[in-house]
Amino acid sequence: MNNSIFPNIWRFFGLVVLQVLLLQQITLSIGPYFNILLYPLFILFLPIQLPAPYVVLLGGLIGMVVDFFYGTLGLHASAGAFSGFARSVILATFEPKGGFTGKEPIASPAYFGWRWYLQVAGFFFVAHLFWYFSVMDFTFVYFTRITLKTLAGWGLTMIFVVLYSALFNPKS
Amino acid sequence: MGKLLQLLLRNGGFMTFVLVEVLCFYIIIKYNEDQNAIFSHTATVFSGKLLDKRRQVADYLSLQQLADSLRAENIRINEELANARNIQVPYRDTFFIRNLDTLLLSDSLRRISVRPQFEFISARAVGNSISGANNWLIINKGSNDGITPNMGLVSKNGVVGIIRHVGPNFSMAMSVLHRQMRISVNLQRHHALGSLIWEGGDPAIMTLKFVPHHFKVEKGDAVVTSGYSQLFPKDILVGHVEEKPGSDPENPYFWIIKVRLNQDMASVNDLYVVNNIFYSELDSLNLKAKDE
Repeated sequence: MNNSIFPNIWRFFGLVVLQVLLLQQITLSIGPYFNILLYPLFILFLPIQLPAPYVVLLGGLIGMVVDFFYGTLGLHASAGAFSGFARSVILATFEPKGGFTGKEPIASPAYFGWRWYLQVAGFFFVAHLFWYFSVMDFTFVYFTRITLKTLAGWGLTMIFVVLYSALFNPKS
Repeated sequence: MGKLLQLLLRNGGFMTFVLVEVLCFYIIIKYNEDQNAIFSHTATVFSGKLLDKRRQVADYLSLQQLADSLRAENIRINEELANARNIQVPYRDTFFIRNLDTLLLSDSLRRISVRPQFEFISARAVGNSISGANNWLIINKGSNDGITPNMGLVSKNGVVGIIRHVGPNFSMAMSVLHRQMRISVNLQRHHALGSLIWEGGDPAIMTLKFVPHHFKVEKGDAVVTSGYSQLFPKDILVGHVEEKPGSDPENPYFWIIKVRLNQDMASVNDLYVVNNIFYSELDSLNLKAKDE
């Protein structure tokens, strides 16, 4: 597990920088329905064997850092912690026959193939975005708006997820 | 404690998630204006609902008090009504008819002050019979509550009986279903005076006697108290004429009329004892008249 620490640290900072320098500007310039939240990839690519409480805490941590730049204290942290929890549920649902072994350190297309990866990432980002927009509006009175934002944001985000995963093809 | 620890460990992910979310929501509400506004509003709505529920429970627990205060209010209104029926003021600025000495004229013609004639005391029936030849009621008020013999007993539906025997805390009342009972009543439509008695049998039916033949009595005519007996205020509903009357075989100039009681004597509960403040005065006058 030790050799997986550094790639994750790099991913942490890389995704935060990408998020606040580039992706946040896209939302700000185009409009509130065009959200691209790529930083949760850090949570998804955490080692599969990492115990769930750590995943939740690290998800909250990266969210909190993003919050500092977005000026929305607690919002991304809440969504990050939720995604950390949701990841364990989604991975358990899509667990391959025979279970996860040490041979597949992270849930990436390099180990499980694109079809499996896109399913997992798809559900993962829906969960993250829906939670994020729900907490943002803070009431289900705007359920329609929350759903529309989730769908629009999900479509855009998945494009970047595919680009990122194809470009870096992370293995650890 | 050990079980709690196990639970935490087994559901570590979920527990951490819940803890982190609690912290996040605290931070969100504290540092974000929009969410804070929504939270405050929702909290107000919920606490409002909660307080409302608490008030409902408190209201429920104080229902007995409420019932007591409503009874007191009923008494006040009944007294007012009973006394108002004894005042006849045909025109505002012509003259007043004085009835049973209840009116006192003050120095200005317009202003009148009324001396109340009737006072009501609320009571509950704690005993009742309807199946005997002579029936009695027991009520939960006695001399300690200001009850004396020969007070009328009414319910919101009509006349129930007359107080006969009074103990400190309870009283016995002669039910209208008693062979010695005589109630002075009017047929409301004709103002025809009669006397209502019970001949036994059906506890819902009483017999109205001494209404002369020249009154055309119809089924459904209302029978009300006459106010002549000093026991009951005027115009309290007693019942309705059950069927077209026949002639009294003992007394061919009068009808014999079946009257269905408005108050079901089988279900008597909340009662009012009627205190005629001038009863002793009127009674002594009656006695004097009898002596002559």
